[in-house]
Amino acid sequence: MRGHVLAAVLLATLLAGRAHADCPTRPYWPTDAFLERTAETAMARPAEIAALEQFAFTLVGSDDERKGARTDAVVIARAGEIVYERYARGWSADQRHYSWSVSKSVVNALAGIAVAAGLVALDDSVCKYVTLPRADHCDITLRNLLEFSSGLAWKETYEGESNQVSSVLAMLYGEGAADMLSFVAGHDSRDPPGATYMYSSGDSTFLAGVLHRPLSHAFGADYAWTQLFDVLGMSSATFESDATGAPVGSSWFDATPRDLLRFGYLYANDGCWDGARLLPEGWVAQSTAVSAPYRQRALDTAPADGTQGWQFWLNLAVPEQRQPTPWPDVPTDAFAARGHWGQSVTVIPSLDLVIVRTADDRDGSFDFDQFLKLAIAVGS
Amino acid sequence: MRGLVAVALVVAGCSSPPGGERVYQRNDLQLLTAHAAKEMCSCLFVFGRDEAFCTAWVKAAPDLKTLHVDWDDKRVESQAVLLWGARARFVDARHGCVLE
Repeated sequence: MRGHVLAAVLLATLLAGRAHADCPTRPYWPTDAFLERTAETAMARPAEIAALEQFAFTLVGSDDERKGARTDAVVIARAGEIVYERYARGWSADQRHYSWSVSKSVVNALAGIAVAAGLVALDDSVCKYVTLPRADHCDITLRNLLEFSSGLAWKETYEGESNQVSSVLAMLYGEGAADMLSFVAGHDSRDPPGATYMYSSGDSTFLAGVLHRPLSHAFGADYAWTQLFDVLGMSSATFESDATGAPVGSSWFDATPRDLLRFGYLYANDGCWDGARLLPEGWVAQSTAVSAPYRQRALDTAPADGTQGWQFWLNLAVPEQRQPTPWPDVPTDAFAARGHWGQSVTVIPSLDLVIVRTADDRDGSFDFDQFLKLAIAVGS
Repeated sequence: MRGLVAVALVVAGCSSPPGGERVYQRNDLQLLTAHAAKEMCSCLFVFGRDEAFCTAWVKAAPDLKTLHVDWDDKRVESQAVLLWGARARFVDARHGCVLE
């Protein structure tokens, strides 16, 4: 009898260990509150903090002119503990900030959750989950959308060109606004799916729309909260939808900087949170590797933006596309969620750092590499 | 007068741009008002910033639109040259604002 009980206990221990063995263990998780070491850091790193603040928080000209770096917040965490935090331009810690294309990285998390739950497979046709206005686009898979390789003819411009040719403005504010998935999927093909990479808010929003059905079906309409945001303690998370109810995955996720930090920390922990694996094993590694379409033929590249994985910006050189290391002063394992006007959530696993910046940069002059270099000096 | 000139310029600009690119249906002023209504709504009711900050934040150039906030219904309406307008409303904290 005792032998059976012992065997049962050993088996239970083994099984429990197996489920958690691949997830990092941490002394604490910032679900409810962050531990803070800001006072300690201020004493230990005054010169580094001064240099970071000089760079990030010096305003130039009048607010009207919208010149230079216009930082709204910087929050840095090491091992999940906040070591530096500052707000500016009237923003406070408890206000949600727009994140723009950081939203795309949140869609990566939703995709990972859907895969982990067995609801979708990456090489499924999108038509397995939604009805498209054009059946010829049933050759597009979830993987294609993750990799920005749908091949749809799309013009990703914001300001500076005629607004009427911008596909993303038409999607968000124009003829596409009521049903963004149908709008995106109604475009012609530029290339066959999987052949070329082109950054597109259309692909991200299309993906969010495709995932919306199976995720809602399995977990209810508030799946993003019950399966992701609430688990991480991201209590401020807002994800705006179009009139169909699908989240606008390219652009409209908002959260406090501390909640953005929590999001980054999920990825710093291989997609695990406090003993639970949210994203499949290997998901973060795949998400932060340069995609095959990017290596094959990247139609738009901006060296300083980063190279691309699955809706994340990477610090990996891509010789095939003549891309040098994007952020040369930063470890190559760094990766980031980045959004228009200077939003960023950067994860540097080798330094166990997560660095968040929210901003309203309008003139494109902000040096992201330099910012990370200075933030690393404060935080590591 | 300046407004009329601006409208004329916008209307003139609606002819096909070079390169045979797709030109979407809504014009600049329709996009402008929809952008203003939606983003003003989010700024006020999602980010919790005040009207002065949000008015500056959504400002575009040329700034041909008006903004009207209905605080009770949590709606924002934007109009341009009396011809085009858009409206957005706040749904709830999780879902923010949506164009109506």
